[in-house]
Amino acid sequence: MFRRMFNLERAQSRLATPGGGLRMALIILAVAACLSAVTPSAWAASRTTVTFWMAGNDQKFMDTVNTQLLPAFEKKYPKIDLQITFVPWETLSVKLATAFAGGMAPDVFMHGAAATAGFAATGRVEPLDSLIAKMPDARDFGSTLEQGNYYGKHYMIPVFGAGRLLMYRADEFKEAGLNPDEPPATWEEFRNAAIKLAIRRGNQIVREGIDLPTSGIDAQQIFACFLWQAGGSFFNRDYTRVTFNDAHGVEALQFLANLIQKDKVADTSINLGQGNVPPIATNQVAMLFAVPGDVAQVKTYAPGIYKEIRVAPPLKNKEQWTFYSFSGMFMSKTSKHKEDAWKVMEFFSSPEALEKINASMGTLPPRRSLAKAPAFASDPNIRAFVESMQYARGNPNIAQWVQIRDILSRYLEQALYGRMTPKAALDQAAKEADALLSNR
Amino acid sequence: MSSLSAYWRNRTRREQMLTGYAFVAPIVLYTLVTGFIPVVSSLYLSFTNYNMMTPARWIGLQNYVQVLFHDSLFWRAMLNTAQYSLEVLPLNVLFSLCLALLVNQKLRGITIFRTLYYLPVVTSSIAVSMIWLWLYNKNSGLINLFLGLFGLGPVDWLGTPGLALHSLVLMRVWKGIGWNMVIYLAGLQGIPKYLYEAADIDGASGWKKFSQVTWPSLRPVTYYIVVMGLISTFQTFAEIYAMTNGGPLGSTTTVAYLIYQRAFGAFDMGNASAVSFILFVVIFGLSLVNVKYFQPQD
Repeated sequence: MFRRMFNLERAQSRLATPGGGLRMALIILAVAACLSAVTPSAWAASRTTVTFWMAGNDQKFMDTVNTQLLPAFEKKYPKIDLQITFVPWETLSVKLATAFAGGMAPDVFMHGAAATAGFAATGRVEPLDSLIAKMPDARDFGSTLEQGNYYGKHYMIPVFGAGRLLMYRADEFKEAGLNPDEPPATWEEFRNAAIKLAIRRGNQIVREGIDLPTSGIDAQQIFACFLWQAGGSFFNRDYTRVTFNDAHGVEALQFLANLIQKDKVADTSINLGQGNVPPIATNQVAMLFAVPGDVAQVKTYAPGIYKEIRVAPPLKNKEQWTFYSFSGMFMSKTSKHKEDAWKVMEFFSSPEALEKINASMGTLPPRRSLAKAPAFASDPNIRAFVESMQYARGNPNIAQWVQIRDILSRYLEQALYGRMTPKAALDQAAKEADALLSNR
Repeated sequence: MSSLSAYWRNRTRREQMLTGYAFVAPIVLYTLVTGFIPVVSSLYLSFTNYNMMTPARWIGLQNYVQVLFHDSLFWRAMLNTAQYSLEVLPLNVLFSLCLALLVNQKLRGITIFRTLYYLPVVTSSIAVSMIWLWLYNKNSGLINLFLGLFGLGPVDWLGTPGLALHSLVLMRVWKGIGWNMVIYLAGLQGIPKYLYEAADIDGASGWKKFSQVTWPSLRPVTYYIVVMGLISTFQTFAEIYAMTNGGPLGSTTTVAYLIYQRAFGAFDMGNASAVSFILFVVIFGLSLVNVKYFQPQD
């Protein structure tokens, strides 16, 4: 019967004739096309699909979203088919740019606050002010909402944050004759501690007093902390020219370069630690300007060392600041389901969701009400990051920031390697950055 | 032409022809979509200021003028690439030929050695890079551990501006010799035995046989290895991306890595496309020089 139904014999004999293969291939293609055209539309009628690209592929983060938050969302909004994709940070910008260029941007996506200006200036993202105004508890976000502010409009709902604080080991402080309960508070105290903590053999540094990144985004973020602490800033008030090469900037960079070139308490090599165990736990570095993720890494991969780990409040020179940055959710201007997209954003920025997300990664919750939640208050190191948010400053929100940051990083590296004086390096970076600003 | 139309009028032949086209269509389509169209569109983009955010605007030769006459980073990357290529190629030829001569012996279990030497070739560049990143590690790397036994080092292989590129060369040579060894091996086995017999009758020494018979007979193989090596070393990207990010101080930024930085770091697609086409012209030019001056005449 099966044979008769599909007329298999005739089909076989047709295949054997010249041109039969061609006809058969065309028939198969046509049937496949019909099938694929029919199936999704039947589904689409009942539910709207919202696509959401989440930033990062930390296993605990993905597990929390997949096993707890997504099921809860589907239960609350059965009419929304939420499609979540986890995009690794390294490829996030590239994939988003390609998706926007190809007209395939997700309805909601996550990115760092530094990306706000670029997306907002080119009209890629939706201003959220009218929606934020309707949120009953928007004030709970405090100043973190301002990280997504571009020319007075807000484009980002913050999800998680990170800051830079000095991380050190209490046991090594004691060995070096330092008091672990009184960490360095000024530049000079910090420098003296680094000198005492560094261990050298001949010309080689066996243990760095301080781990200083010399290139890329890390170097720029450390420089930012010292620039602000020296009383400087990246731009003038109306963002028409850079100011990081003034006396404050030179003082900051000179201080950092001296740690490598003169005091020799840090070197230019990259410390990898061993496997997943970070270098502070393998006695390769005594102090570093850590983000909460570094703390979490020691806790997970070197639990025996963790009891010795301490985190200090930001250093103070003329002023007391440190670098904090939040990542959050943006809504694409091209989204066809903005109402449902906002439901997604509201759900994932609720106190319950933010507590789960941030606890999973050891990151900082943007809501003030969560500072006292057990996940953050019970660990003194994470608590230190939450408490130091009062000294937080972020990178400037202007469209050319990423390019200016790359120019600056390149010249910071020249100065830290001792190839250029700090003044010459910053002046040259300023020259290139100002040229970029005047072209806008 | 008339024979083609006669061919077309015959129903069976027409169907045969169409079937043939239907079978080659997927690969032709694939080549057009993933090869030809992107190349042509990036040639177009190289004359625009496309940044993936706003529509492309035609700016003529501006990108090329900028890159060739006002871009010190490009020239630095070009020099790095040339240096890398000039270091990798001779070492690669030398070591792969030596290995091929060694594994050309008729010994028991020689295929095991051939397989072992070939292993790095079939390992992905990123995996190899991660292993070498650890080997080169200043504090806990095997190489420094070994040097330490003799009271030397530790050396910061990838963190020292004058050394990082050479370290990458060493890794590339190790990864590449297996492939070239196989090609040399095929070449060696293709040399007629009577040439060696004639040399024996003339009383030639081992070195004479190598320099007068083996090396000249391998010339077409060497030519092939050099041309292909030149093309691939000029496009080196993966190990730079995985191991040094072009640093320290830009000392390992190759042209291919610069293209990536400009395209997907700064999203300056116009500039990146222009650099790509300049790189294409350079590789094409070098290959032409090779063909003209070094191609074996027979």
